[in-house]
Amino acid sequence: MVTKPRNRWWPWAAIGCSIAVAFTLSMISPADSVQGDLVRIMYVHVPAAWLAYTAFIVTFAGSLWYLLTRSLKADRVAAASAEIGVFFTGLALALGMIWAKPTWGVWWTWDARLTLTAIMFFVYLGYLALRRTTDDPVARASRASVLGVLGAIQIPIVHFSVVWWRTLHQPPSIVRPDGPSIQDPMMLVALIVGVLAFTVVYVSLMVKRIELGHLDDQRRAAEQSPDRPVAGEAVTIPELGAKR
Amino acid sequence: MTTGFWHQVRAVVDRDLLRERRSGDVLWITIPFGALALLLVPLAVGTDAELLREIGVGMYWVVVMLFGVLVAVGKASRETLPQQDASSLLGLDPAAGFIGRTASSTVLLLAFEVVVGIVAVGLYNIDVLGPGWLILTLSIAAIGLALLGTLTAAIVNSSSAGAALVPLLVAPLSVPLLLGATQAYDGLRYGHAILSWVLLMVAVVVVVAMIGVLAARPLQES
Repeated sequence: MVTKPRNRWWPWAAIGCSIAVAFTLSMISPADSVQGDLVRIMYVHVPAAWLAYTAFIVTFAGSLWYLLTRSLKADRVAAASAEIGVFFTGLALALGMIWAKPTWGVWWTWDARLTLTAIMFFVYLGYLALRRTTDDPVARASRASVLGVLGAIQIPIVHFSVVWWRTLHQPPSIVRPDGPSIQDPMMLVALIVGVLAFTVVYVSLMVKRIELGHLDDQRRAAEQSPDRPVAGEAVTIPELGAKR
Repeated sequence: MTTGFWHQVRAVVDRDLLRERRSGDVLWITIPFGALALLLVPLAVGTDAELLREIGVGMYWVVVMLFGVLVAVGKASRETLPQQDASSLLGLDPAAGFIGRTASSTVLLLAFEVVVGIVAVGLYNIDVLGPGWLILTLSIAAIGLALLGTLTAAIVNSSSAGAALVPLLVAPLSVPLLLGATQAYDGLRYGHAILSWVLLMVAVVVVVAMIGVLAARPLQES
């Protein structure tokens, strides 16, 4: 039997409130002395990139958890996180391109960070495509979890690409051994609040997606149940000799 | 099959190489196709000898990575479900099967790299620098690509979209190998240290090998 979905209001409220706060802060923070108002794109681009990493790390953890315990719940966590991670990676790439055109003069440049992020995007698109190749939840979980672990190789390479190669993309500006390179406290606060707001969005979407995955598995199980209604069940056999 | 682990590996290698000897897929199809790709590049980018010499190594590695997927996956995915069931019933250790298939793919990939490499040197006038490092880089790339191809083929095995999906999965995952190989050659050319690039490739090989061996049984059972 398929349970009814819980109509939770709090994820949507949390998403709305956190985005509103982050948007307000990003608008009242000062314009950059070099980039001008273009810097405001960074208040979405940077949190999206961070959440993409977080999402793929959770996919790795969920996949490993599945391989160790064979719990379908772990697979649902990994799958939900990968879907959201692909969305955030796409968002970070798109916003980066919009920012790059007026700043660097091109939509795309063959910078190590950009190229490797695009490749990471395709790795997880492949992960999602793999999940669609079978309906059997156990087979799907087993195959996807191996790829979920394997795909995580890309994460440190993307992250350290700005350190390993001399790139156009700027190096880390917040998590640095000698402290954040952003001097204006208002800008720093807007960026950190942006990250927190996106984290709330991520957690809320995860809750909804995991619930949806659970319902989907229940639906598939119900479809394959021996007690399921079969085609033609409503048709009754006419009795011989019955009066019209 | 009650033999030891390494005997099982050897049996899988022998079987795969025998199959290749009979079909000649790599020798007669994939290697000529790779050489043809190298021949087509100058038609697209121009026939400037200096330019071709400059991009030759990169083109060579791109061809190795993209066509190497065909070599690695072709061998690994040719096993049908009844054959897999027969192997399981015979008691073939899934990890031994994985290592055996990887080893046979490595041999074929090395052959592919060498033949296509000779074609690339001839067509693009590439300098062969540091033969020792070159052999090491070629070997690690072959092992890494074979591991990725074998593991990915096992992941998508028996799924309906398997054949179409494998290149999408392997190509992005092989990027660290491509980077390591091309940067190592650039290092040799400009006199820079290349150990870090070789170590990156080795790290990828070790990680993928560990995942492949540990995941062999769950994948077989799925």
